[in-house]
Amino acid sequence: MKIDNHIKIFIVDDNNVFALTLKSDIENTFSIFPIEVKLFESGEICMSELKKENPQIVILDYQLNSRKPDAVDGIKVLDWIKEINDEIFVIMLTGNDHIDIAIKSFQHGASDYIVKTDTQFKKIIFSLSNCFKIIKAKNDSIKYLRELDDYKKHHSFE
Amino acid sequence: MIKNEKVTDLTYLIEMTGGKKHLILEIIYTFLEQIADEIKSMNDAISTANYATIKSYAHTMKSTVSVMGISIIIPVLKEMENLGAKAENIEKIKELKMEIDLICKQAILEIETIKLNYV
Repeated sequence: MKIDNHIKIFIVDDNNVFALTLKSDIENTFSIFPIEVKLFESGEICMSELKKENPQIVILDYQLNSRKPDAVDGIKVLDWIKEINDEIFVIMLTGNDHIDIAIKSFQHGASDYIVKTDTQFKKIIFSLSNCFKIIKAKNDSIKYLRELDDYKKHHSFE
Repeated sequence: MIKNEKVTDLTYLIEMTGGKKHLILEIIYTFLEQIADEIKSMNDAISTANYATIKSYAHTMKSTVSVMGISIIIPVLKEMENLGAKAENIEKIKELKMEIDLICKQAILEIETIKLNYV
């Protein structure tokens, strides 16, 4: 199993100003971490890159069809992501604080749900910090299991 | 409504970017391009009384303007979004749009001036 300390984050939002500012905030806040952030204006474009790039985290806007009415919405993209890799953390963003959207997001496998308000960036950063902790714990667990296997190979318990 | 008071506040943007000039400039350029596009799309939607699109653009614009600290415009956009959702009162929507235009015009002038500090 491969341990990858490099963290790739996709931001999928059709509001370029918002996405660019969020990218800057993430890179600025986690400047000591090996992070790569990529932006996508639609779920369709994101999906074509997702298989190739295999990000650990996707920050996904629920309402992706404000500019292009025929674009797929965030829930559909969330389903596509989970079909490809169930371990990807998906942080769902929405402009409307509707409990229905929150429930639907979690039912479809979102790791977190954040409403776009004045404190949106702080909440996203907090959510990312939690994802990083889980990713680190998983990587540590893989590392220790590997070390244990190596130890068992070289030491007899009989 | 607006006289000599500033409508923009870039404190938030500066904090988000860690004060990095190239990032601030990139976001300013994106904002100026996007806000013009959003205003035009909103005009088109109002002229055809397309309430769903009016609601959608009012919603999107809230995120766009909040980055530039244009908080004065948020209640106006919220009211427009609500009217769009209810699909009613196009005359009131037109009034709100005039207010939005006025604030955006001043905001763009301010940002164009601020931009010069980062070029």
